[in-house]
Amino acid sequence: MRLPGFEYLNPQNLDQTLDMLAEHKDEAKILAGGTDLLVRMKKGLLAPKYIISLKALDSLSYIKDESDCIKIGTRTPIADIIASKPVQKHARALFQACEKIGAVSIQHYKGTIGGNILQNNRCHHYNQSDFYRSGRQACHKDGGKICYAREEADRCNSTCQSDGATALMALGAGLTLAGKDNKREVELANFYTTDGIMPFAMESQELLTEISIPKTNGESAYKRLAYRSAIDYPIVCAGVLLESDNSDKIVRARIVVGAMGRAPLLLANAASKLKGKDMNDQATFKDAATAAMSSAAAFAVHNVGSTLEYRCAMVEEMVLQALKEI
Amino acid sequence: MSDYNIIGKRMPRVDSRAKVMGKVRYSADIKLHGMLVGKIKRSPYAHARILSIDTSKAENLPGVKAVVTGKDTEGVKWGVFGYTRDQQFIQTDKARYIGDEVAGVAAVDEDTALKALDLIQVEYEQLPAVFEPMDAMASDSELIHEDFPNNINIHVNIDTGEVDENFKKAHYIREDTFTAPEESYFQAEPYAVVARFDEDECLEVWCPNGGPHMKSKPLSNSFKLPLHKVKIKKIAIGGAFGGRSEICPADYICALLAKKTSAPVKIIFTREENTIATRQGHAMITTHKTGVDKEGRVLARDTTCYMDGGAYSSTGPIATTVPFLSMEQAYRMESVRYNGYRVYTNKPIRGMIRVHGRGFACGLDTQLDMIAEHLGIDPVEMRLRNSRQPGEYTNTKSLVSSCAMDETIHKAVEKSGFKEKWGKLPPFHGIGIGTNSVQTGFPMGIRGGSQSFIKFNEDGEATVMTGVVDNGQGNDNMVVQIAAQELGLLPEDIHLVSADTETTSSDPGSYSQVSTFVGGQAVKNAASNCKKKLFDVAAKVLKVEPDTLKAENRLIFVKDDPEKSIPIKKVVRISLLNFNSVNAEGGYWPKVDMKREWVSNPYGQMCEAFSFGTTIVEVKVDPDTGEVEVLEVTASQDVGKALNPLVLEGQFEGSIAMGGQGGMLTEYHEWHEGRCVNPTMLDYKLPLACDMPKINNIIVESIEPKGPYGAKEAGMSIAMSAAQGYSAAVSNAIGVHMDSFPLTPDKILTAIKNKKQQDTAK
Amino acid sequence: MEKLQITLNINGKDQALLVQPNDTLLEVLRDELDLTGSKESCSEGICGSCTIQMDGKPVRSCLTLAMEAQGTKIKTVEGLANGDELSNLQQSFIDHGAVQCGICTPGMLMSADALLSETLNPDDTTIRQALSGNICRCTGYSKIVEAVAHAGKPEKSCPDCQTKE
Repeated sequence: MRLPGFEYLNPQNLDQTLDMLAEHKDEAKILAGGTDLLVRMKKGLLAPKYIISLKALDSLSYIKDESDCIKIGTRTPIADIIASKPVQKHARALFQACEKIGAVSIQHYKGTIGGNILQNNRCHHYNQSDFYRSGRQACHKDGGKICYAREEADRCNSTCQSDGATALMALGAGLTLAGKDNKREVELANFYTTDGIMPFAMESQELLTEISIPKTNGESAYKRLAYRSAIDYPIVCAGVLLESDNSDKIVRARIVVGAMGRAPLLLANAASKLKGKDMNDQATFKDAATAAMSSAAAFAVHNVGSTLEYRCAMVEEMVLQALKEI
Repeated sequence: MSDYNIIGKRMPRVDSRAKVMGKVRYSADIKLHGMLVGKIKRSPYAHARILSIDTSKAENLPGVKAVVTGKDTEGVKWGVFGYTRDQQFIQTDKARYIGDEVAGVAAVDEDTALKALDLIQVEYEQLPAVFEPMDAMASDSELIHEDFPNNINIHVNIDTGEVDENFKKAHYIREDTFTAPEESYFQAEPYAVVARFDEDECLEVWCPNGGPHMKSKPLSNSFKLPLHKVKIKKIAIGGAFGGRSEICPADYICALLAKKTSAPVKIIFTREENTIATRQGHAMITTHKTGVDKEGRVLARDTTCYMDGGAYSSTGPIATTVPFLSMEQAYRMESVRYNGYRVYTNKPIRGMIRVHGRGFACGLDTQLDMIAEHLGIDPVEMRLRNSRQPGEYTNTKSLVSSCAMDETIHKAVEKSGFKEKWGKLPPFHGIGIGTNSVQTGFPMGIRGGSQSFIKFNEDGEATVMTGVVDNGQGNDNMVVQIAAQELGLLPEDIHLVSADTETTSSDPGSYSQVSTFVGGQAVKNAASNCKKKLFDVAAKVLKVEPDTLKAENRLIFVKDDPEKSIPIKKVVRISLLNFNSVNAEGGYWPKVDMKREWVSNPYGQMCEAFSFGTTIVEVKVDPDTGEVEVLEVTASQDVGKALNPLVLEGQFEGSIAMGGQGGMLTEYHEWHEGRCVNPTMLDYKLPLACDMPKINNIIVESIEPKGPYGAKEAGMSIAMSAAQGYSAAVSNAIGVHMDSFPLTPDKILTAIKNKKQQDTAK
Repeated sequence: MEKLQITLNINGKDQALLVQPNDTLLEVLRDELDLTGSKESCSEGICGSCTIQMDGKPVRSCLTLAMEAQGTKIKTVEGLANGDELSNLQQSFIDHGAVQCGICTPGMLMSADALLSETLNPDDTTIRQALSGNICRCTGYSKIVEAVAHAGKPEKSCPDCQTKE
């Protein structure tokens, strides 16, 4: 499959990158590893006028172990994150999620954590070739007005299948977004629109530069389900974080379910079932998992494989498994 | 049998050195001077009348060299059989599935060709479309093909009599329906074709094929060229699995573009095109009604199968029959009735595939297990009581000469520990057995035989010419091995010329498991004839009788006195000095019943040999997710004779991946209004290295009297029985006999939940 | 579209090339340099048939812009052998029957070669994981995994290991 034509821009530092983004805005796309962007371009889902490569920006590839957080540059390869001792120790959910991304041969170079977070939402009615999408009305994400995944839907129901984002949201991670004249930090949980067409709340001239994972006394875990044990995107996944006090009482809980909606779903109601409960109270885990399932089920549509009924049932299972692992 | 120094040995394949060096050329790798890029315009509608096609804009685009539509064709319809001629290579009146060919372009580069496709304006009138065989048969809207009422493409009816009477005698009768959706080949090589007309106005074509002669005939018809002017050239092929056996419209379109532009043209399919516009496996709905006696022996069976054939006939009559054949070959039945309906739908065209009829076969074995359970017999005993025995006739009157079905069962049972494990495994841990049989060849009329030529060069090396094609399974090596063994040379002394219509004779092709049996045998006969000539000369030199001689390791020697020998090279030179070249031909035509016809007369000798396979599978099911972990697979096949165990094991292992791991757990197509939702390698779930189980291979040799060195077919009855073994194992693990395949986690979980509810209710 | 001058280091040799920004490394290898060993099978980074190495790491060339490959050391399947002398891994693939149709073979070799350069004696699980991004439709993987495990390290119990004296 051919890539559409574009102008290739190769900035040598962050400032140059941000200048280019400010100049070209919507007409430019950032190229990191390319596993998501280039495939979408080959399928004719987008045809940017400019490609801005992060190839020279080694300064965005790092893992810093600081006193209160771990900072990860967004161009850091997935393999580096898997190999990172601080990540394994303080952000196990992320470690477990990264292990599942793509395949070993993709993780070291093509797959970057920034790319994983910013991988566009997917839908099996949309992530198709030009030919497949011809001869029918365009869907919302394709510039039209209908949704093939949910009848009568007035907006796009594409699904966020990012392993990394689900784990990071459970960990309470924050993002740094840099623009030419400004730099801002945002909680990952607040980074999403409710719009499947443009799922991320970021400006076209902004660049995602850093991920910051707060260190807590808690433990985290990530579980996912996919058809095969490599390559595939998850059809349902869950990241959880539990913090307990000296008497093993849960003082803080976060439950995030991924691959079930337009963004990873931070499920406060499910998490609230755990607060004040004992860390070893398996029955409570089950309550929380069931609550997670009913919340998540409202968002999901049949558009990433398997059956909707199965994926909903598996929300409960993945949350339960993740909680039990802690 | 250790009389052979090359046959039966674990010989690394002759083609693998070039392959590991990246030097082998496949169709897409071909570069010719001035070559253009071809692309095909396809219908985006499932069923639509073509009102007009405007190609002017495309033709005026700089860089576009030609545009072809149905107008450039003679409107000729093609079909494998006289009564199945229903497909034009470029549609003129209407499109019948999403992907149907409506035009082709040739341009200087891919970007230009793609732009040109967009500029071709086709005006359609959409027609009501049907996507399921039951709907298609009941539909009162416009037929997909007007000559086929109720959209029934093929009806195969087989009735050996006394079915109803025998049901009356039966001790126990079951009727169950089993379903499975479409699957795909996913050959690693996407389809590609290169065509050009040479200076003598001969059409040269390079493309993946299951037999070059099956491509040349339709092209010769279409271009009104004599057969010798259509040259299908030898080229490396990246997998077939049944999906490369017929002419592809792209072959014709590519050749037409080459003709119009007087330049070579290359068309490479996208992965999506390979999925939707070559062939797929049939979706099937199969009902088996089986009556048995008290011992579990099958007295009567009545099977009805509805197959979703897609938009055109393809190999329809064969496809409609083969699942039945596997059944009647593997199992004895007192009486049987079969009604197979292949129904047109507005979906991609379906052909023969490695596991042809997974729902049919797995349903059959599942039902046997259900009957066994009812009678209190274990699955192994149930199979042994019904298994095919040597010397018997199938219900449709094919003599089965060699058959070691029981031995494959016994050996697989022993190796897998089936007896020790059956009924004693922990919850959600299961073991299952599948048995099957595959035919070695079909009656193919004038194309049923193969002929080979061998010539010696003055350096004592030999050139072997054969029509046998290598789709990736190792047929080139098989031919070299046989020739080297027979001629007394080393494999490196054999120069192979194969699968090229200009230089090699007709051959039945590699899609009916017949390459070794027929093509290999033809080579063996040619080599044997050639050897006779060598022996005549050598005998004179050595002053012995020719029948006392043996050839091996480049030497001809006296069997009882090996010191008395002469190099083959020297024999060749002596022969040449005596005004005789050393060459010979040999052929093989299987003695099948030429009156047997798929629809009009489905009785008589089908082929000369049948392979038999048993696969035993052990699994663990996660009761919380429905996921299956396959612990071990034991595959055992009666191959007649293992010509090369190394290659044979590769066929077993690949069969298990495709038939079992993929075919029974993850592989199926999903549809949305005639669109194939998962045409890509991301969305269609082929097995990965990390998901494959431990495999035990057991080779059983029954030495088929008619096969070369006793060989039959290799690997296919493992692919089939693997599917059955996988489904039986999962059913055993969860305590539910599954009737819808493949066994994806969602289905398994639902079955577990339903069973739990039923058990609680009890 | 305007072509740009780039230099790629391929199998130890610098190659000056004119490319378009939207040319993938795979297209340049196959179409410009006639290195057709690397195959295009899925074209979307799933099957691994186009795997080459960049600085010793396996990389999917169908999703790599030729422009982006500048400044790296690229190795393709054509660069595995030393002239006519095959690498241990290549020989092992032949001896163990790991090659059938051959389309996945080049990518499989490049992934396995990268694994072996990092891990001396990979176990079965490690090999299977390292090859999980390379899809083979023919072999069922058993013989490929064996070939990688025994590359350059013949096992006495293996009937296919060449025990060269």
